[in-house]
Amino acid sequence: MPSYTLTVNAEKRTVSVDSDTPLLWVLRDHLGLTGTKYGCGRGICGNCTVHYQGNAIRSCVLPITSVLEGNIVTIEGLSENENHPVQQAWMELDVPQCGYCQSGQIMATVDLLSKIKNPTDADINTAMQGVLCRCGTYSRIRKAIHRAASIQDK
Amino acid sequence: MKSTWDRRTFIKLTASASGALVAGVCLQSCTSGTVPATAHEFSPLIKIDTKGWVTLIAKNPEIGQGIKTSLPMILAEELGADWDKVKVIQGDFDKAYEEQWAGGSYAIILNWDMMRTAAAKVRHVLLQAASKKMNIRVSELTTSKGKVLHSESGESLPFEKLLLEASKLPLPETVEFKPTDSFEIIGKNTPQVDLDQLVSGGTKFSIDIKLPGMLYATVLKNPVFDGGAGDYDDTRTRSVNGVVDVIELNNSDYGGRLIAPNSPNFVNGIAVLAKSTWAAFKGAQVLDVVWDNADARKENTAEIFERFQLQLNDTTIERKDGDLSRAKRNADSNFEAMYQVPFLAHIPMEPMNCTVDFRDDLCEVWAPTQNPKALQEGLIKLFGLQPEQIKIHLPRIGGAFGRRYYVDYAMDAAILSKKVQKPVKLIWTREEDIRHDWYRPASIQKMAASLDKEGRVTGWQHVLANASRKTCLGREGRPAGTEIDKYEFPAGFVPDLQFEYGHVLSDVPLGQWRSVGHSAVAFAVHSFLDELAILSKMDPMDYFLEFLGPARMVPVVDDYAFDAKRLISVVEQVRRNSNWDVPLPKGQGRGFAASKHSGSFVAEVVTVSVDANENITILRVDAVVDCGIVINPTGAKAQVEGGILEGLSAALYGEITVKNGVAEQSNFHDYKWIRMDEAPEIHVEFITNNLPPRGLGEPPLPPAAPALTNAIFAATGKRIRKLPIL
Ligand code: FES
Ligand code: FES
Repeated sequence: MPSYTLTVNAEKRTVSVDSDTPLLWVLRDHLGLTGTKYGCGRGICGNCTVHYQGNAIRSCVLPITSVLEGNIVTIEGLSENENHPVQQAWMELDVPQCGYCQSGQIMATVDLLSKIKNPTDADINTAMQGVLCRCGTYSRIRKAIHRAASIQDK
Repeated sequence: MKSTWDRRTFIKLTASASGALVAGVCLQSCTSGTVPATAHEFSPLIKIDTKGWVTLIAKNPEIGQGIKTSLPMILAEELGADWDKVKVIQGDFDKAYEEQWAGGSYAIILNWDMMRTAAAKVRHVLLQAASKKMNIRVSELTTSKGKVLHSESGESLPFEKLLLEASKLPLPETVEFKPTDSFEIIGKNTPQVDLDQLVSGGTKFSIDIKLPGMLYATVLKNPVFDGGAGDYDDTRTRSVNGVVDVIELNNSDYGGRLIAPNSPNFVNGIAVLAKSTWAAFKGAQVLDVVWDNADARKENTAEIFERFQLQLNDTTIERKDGDLSRAKRNADSNFEAMYQVPFLAHIPMEPMNCTVDFRDDLCEVWAPTQNPKALQEGLIKLFGLQPEQIKIHLPRIGGAFGRRYYVDYAMDAAILSKKVQKPVKLIWTREEDIRHDWYRPASIQKMAASLDKEGRVTGWQHVLANASRKTCLGREGRPAGTEIDKYEFPAGFVPDLQFEYGHVLSDVPLGQWRSVGHSAVAFAVHSFLDELAILSKMDPMDYFLEFLGPARMVPVVDDYAFDAKRLISVVEQVRRNSNWDVPLPKGQGRGFAASKHSGSFVAEVVTVSVDANENITILRVDAVVDCGIVINPTGAKAQVEGGILEGLSAALYGEITVKNGVAEQSNFHDYKWIRMDEAPEIHVEFITNNLPPRGLGEPPLPPAAPALTNAIFAATGKRIRKLPIL
């Protein structure tokens, strides 16, 4: 099997996998970064969202060979002590129910706030409609995004 | 190697080694031979250590309903612990914890007294120990924030100072509970215990478990419901890098379709085992297989509904009050309507998976299950194990909604691990999850009412025909279950009333789905009441209140009466909260429904706008809930928000259709659910009282669908009698 070196959470990591292996499974099975979740495997649910070169991507549909150039950030790499403004807002509002989708929700939110500092509800709808939450935490997510924006402002 | 697991072994050992009355339990620092009594286990659920930390066991499966926080809150409250000095640990499946399952919104109902009793016993010995030390009568002492208090003198002693004394005292047989007006923890917004882990990817769900030497597996199942085994060629599969093994799973080799009551066996399939999930998925994708479906019914949805329709005329009577034919004869008018609901999938975000290490005669399981007892029973039946040879861990679960009441996926994993004598993590793809669910039963319901001159209901007939979840695994010969029971609303409210059930057999696998039969029944009942109101030219809420009659206890069956007053009060409150009486602009409408489920009363108003192209926007939902004492308001509110969104999602989109015995949906592109851009604002209010707490996972769901369709009628004049809407 070929071997590849990628940069995950600012660390170089080398793995031996088939060239078509999606980043999701590299993270989960080979690098032990299980915060990124499998929900559909087809780019529909957004639960596998991570950042690549500063943009949110669906790690379940991107093969390892397409993410070798830049830094990949996963939920584990967001902060040292759960003190990223988005994580803080999530805890303040007690957002998760089962919690399974929340890594994807948080990574999509961090991406949104990096592009729009103070998103409107319409911005939130556009950015977040790709991340499915089966438990129905959307109203808390919306409030938490506004809250994170104001924490970030300070 | 240890031949059995016994949680108590460790405890007994340390107790006898110490030779003292104190059963010293080592938490972390124990090395064999030395016995530092760092903590005392007062009960299987409660430990207190010498630093004053209280460790509480969360015994039930956490599926997102917040039970890992709310049950320990009850313990902490009754104990008088300081919540900031409480550690909560998820319990494994263990008979010491008694009932451990998630379903029917029963956890709080079943555990309210049990939790309080367990903690009150410990409080009792702490108080006695303090009484002796402080020389003050027990009756003058209370516990609060981890201390025993004498409020008159202001004197106090922290729990840790009482540990040695208290641990020598026997727990009392009977206890008195704390008065509800002294609650310090119950009723306060308490963020859930695992928040920091949940927001940083640290939580280990079952799907995240990794064991040394573990193989990853997936399974390709016969897509046809109740289809046979497969004839396969695995050459291509075995040539995939990383694939280790291909193993047939035929339920005829493992106890047939039903292993134990409530434990359906797996669907026939072929498993691929590999060194990574991706290799297993790839291997399964290229497997050449021809399935034997000669014996399957190969049903189609349209034909299933036709059979339901026919069965409406051939029913058994489930309840009969008064004389329906008399009501019909004497009525000023009779009105009838038919309602139809589809099969629904559960689609929890964490797909079906299970990790099992089954070597020699020991079976260790990490299972996302709502029902560990069924899993244990299944393993016992399937492999002839003793309970002591089975250890079931209960990691946090990524949603369940009734799907994980069944343990088929765990059986798959156990068989595979035993076969290869290695730990195996089995993950179903989303496609397998949707195609091999235990679906919410579809049904057709006929509603008939007899009305007097004023439009008042004098006779009520509710006929439901479907394939029942209770008989789905049997064909001819198994007794018919019913999907409408004698407790259904409005039993007791109408003098001449009849409930009937028409039973149809089908191969479609059926099961519990959040709120179970109520999700279907409430849609028919509360749509029909709205129709009757419109027919009588009355405001639907006024009509409903008149239908309920005066605030009183309404006898339903011998030992069960319906408290009409509590239902009336949630309706009146939601009327105010939703501005029900303030007219809306054209194209907008409000709909309403209110029901009782698992002891809780919920009234909901949905406000919608519908544009010229029939695009529906849900603008807002108001919910008022009376579930008795609210343990944790933030968690309770989450359950209401979630239940409503689930009801609305299903009403708008949810539908499994069947073609030639195969579910036509397979992933989130064709099994749609509400997303962020469609999610309405939801306002929730709880009625405060001191009544015993009741269930909350399910009760908010049933009113959502009829409230929505009633709102669409109010906005457009178009009546929706068949779900889904879109
Ligand atoms: S798992 Fe990647 S989008 Fe669903
Ligand atoms: S919190 Fe359960 S899926 Fe979003």
